[in-house]
Amino acid sequence: MRLIGTAVLALNRIWATKVRSLLTMLGVVIGVAAIVALTSIVDGASQGINKSLATLGTNQLNITALAADSLTEQDAEELAALDNVSVMFVQAQNQGTIATSDNRVNARLVGVSSQYFEAVKPELALGSYLSSSSFATTAKDVVFGADAANDLGITKELLGKTVKLNGQDFRLVGVLDDQAGFGTSGRVYVHIDAARKLFSQYPYVSSIVIQAATPEQVDTLQLQADLLLRERYGLGEQTTARYTITNQASLIAAVGSITATLGLLLTGIAAISLLVGGIGIMNIMLVSVRERTREIGVRRAIGAKQSNILTQFLIEAIVLSLAGGIVGLILGQIAAFFLAIIGDWVFSIRLDTIGLALGFSLLVGVVFGVWPARQAAKLEPIDALRFE
Amino acid sequence: MADEVVRLDKVRRDYLVGEQITTALDGVDLVIERGEFVAIVGPSGSGKSTMMNLIGCLDRPSKGSVYIAGGSTNELSDNELTSLRSKSIGFVFQQFQLLPNSTAIENVMAPLLYQGLSTREAKRSAAKMLTQLGLGDRMTFDRNRLSGGQQQRVAIARALVTNPDIVLADEPTGALDSKTGAAVIQLLKDLHREGRTIVLITHDLEIAASAPRRVFLRDGQIERDEKGSR
Ligand SMILES: Nc1ncnc2c1ncn2[C@@H]1O[C@H](COP(=O)(O)OP(=O)(O)OP(=O)(O)O)[C@@H](O)[C@H]1O
Ligand SMILES: [Mg+2]
Repeated sequence: MRLIGTAVLALNRIWATKVRSLLTMLGVVIGVAAIVALTSIVDGASQGINKSLATLGTNQLNITALAADSLTEQDAEELAALDNVSVMFVQAQNQGTIATSDNRVNARLVGVSSQYFEAVKPELALGSYLSSSSFATTAKDVVFGADAANDLGITKELLGKTVKLNGQDFRLVGVLDDQAGFGTSGRVYVHIDAARKLFSQYPYVSSIVIQAATPEQVDTLQLQADLLLRERYGLGEQTTARYTITNQASLIAAVGSITATLGLLLTGIAAISLLVGGIGIMNIMLVSVRERTREIGVRRAIGAKQSNILTQFLIEAIVLSLAGGIVGLILGQIAAFFLAIIGDWVFSIRLDTIGLALGFSLLVGVVFGVWPARQAAKLEPIDALRFE
Repeated sequence: MADEVVRLDKVRRDYLVGEQITTALDGVDLVIERGEFVAIVGPSGSGKSTMMNLIGCLDRPSKGSVYIAGGSTNELSDNELTSLRSKSIGFVFQQFQLLPNSTAIENVMAPLLYQGLSTREAKRSAAKMLTQLGLGDRMTFDRNRLSGGQQQRVAIARALVTNPDIVLADEPTGALDSKTGAAVIQLLKDLHREGRTIVLITHDLEIAASAPRRVFLRDGQIERDEKGSR
């Protein structure tokens, strides 16, 4: 029989037992939908993390103090004088309170030096950055991070109005849109000189950020910065208790490998559900072979070769699995779409996901369909005809 | 010399069930010539179906040889036996054995499709055959909507559509009332008159009597081989 004729037989049978076929597909549907949705979660999450890391600049080095008195502004000045440093800024931070006339919450008060906003370029929801001129003249402006703004119920009308930081008057000039950001929320930003009036830490800073002129220079710069600080504090080779230096590029790589592992783990779980789906198909196919033993006998008697029987049952298993895969793909993409809205990342239909989903369901059909199909094909015609 | 369609040469068939060997056929010699109408008669368990399975190449003898249209079947592979069956044998079963979820015409098309014909060609031949057997208006009915007699006529159409050398009918009237059964026997007789070779298996002596040649089986052996009407 021609392949098309055999395919028609297989499809007829699937159609004749619609409900059972649907239930049989379910395992593969769930498995594939899980793979598709999970892939997109991992994708979206790493997209988000990478985006916020990238806004910090890949050629940046963060030098973070491990104790309140570990690093000073003098250290920062010296670091800025190193070769290839294009930008330097410092942060000093402390817990404090922020308040409007009718609300008051805790927040992290962050003092930044004037280069901060130029270097980081965070997105704005309202107003503007702490302008350079205001750094020079009035040191009493404040920019809110998104979470701090939310906590306090900041609205557009409050822009340019007075808010209180640790009881002192500041003028609100901007609100950041840093929701997807990485550790920037729940914060308010003021000039470092103003910060000194809010919490006296001088000359200590909580972190120093230096930026290399090009990404290639980051690694060298990291070594130089480390060497410089060790010399200043007379630290030996091994001791690092004062500070840590993190490199954005290596952070991105680390996040990448974490999300890859996570992806692998989730794919493993999804693969197990696919396996279960495949076993479900095999089970139903075996039942079907038993139920249709006589039919197989009749077909053999009227001229069906073993290969015809094998193909018929194999196609049936493959169609069940592939159809399950297609339905699962669609459901998975729909789930991914809504997850993308919830997680606020970009929804995209990836060709490799489609290929993977369809490829896997095809494979499941073949792997779990072959054995029942062989059972059917190997039946002796007379035994099959006598079967009750 | 006449044209031999079937030759059984000292055919023996043993079944092994557990430790027990049952000899269903025990050294049977039989020649059937083209155009014959032979009734194989015998009590239950005498080996009739076993013989039909051997003639129909559904089974292989334990000893001896089966020749179909002059050729030995002993050395044939499963695939070659299937081809031979497809080309030379048409089966009619007691329980009709129409395919499930298939219409009358799909049943009749199936043997042609297995021969490799296109759907269009198969459909044309199948429709012609069904019309010849008076089922022109039942072609799209499936087995649930056909009477027993109609089902058996579809089965006969399915057996004939490949124009086989032999039609093997195992108790074709066993599941039918006597009137419908008689019509099916009449149909087989008509086919014989048109020149078909028919092997009819039955335990009913009256039905057997309508065949020009009767082979009596008992305990796996041929007891009598009668020719001519009685
Ligand atoms: N597949 C088999 N396995 C074991 N024994 C079998 C098998 N087929 C037939 N037999 C045995 O062989 C003998 C002949 O059986 P067969 O079916 O040929 O008889 P029959 O003449 O067709 O009987 P009936 O009129 O009841 O159909 C019986 O004893 C039967 O039990
Ligand atoms: Mg029998």
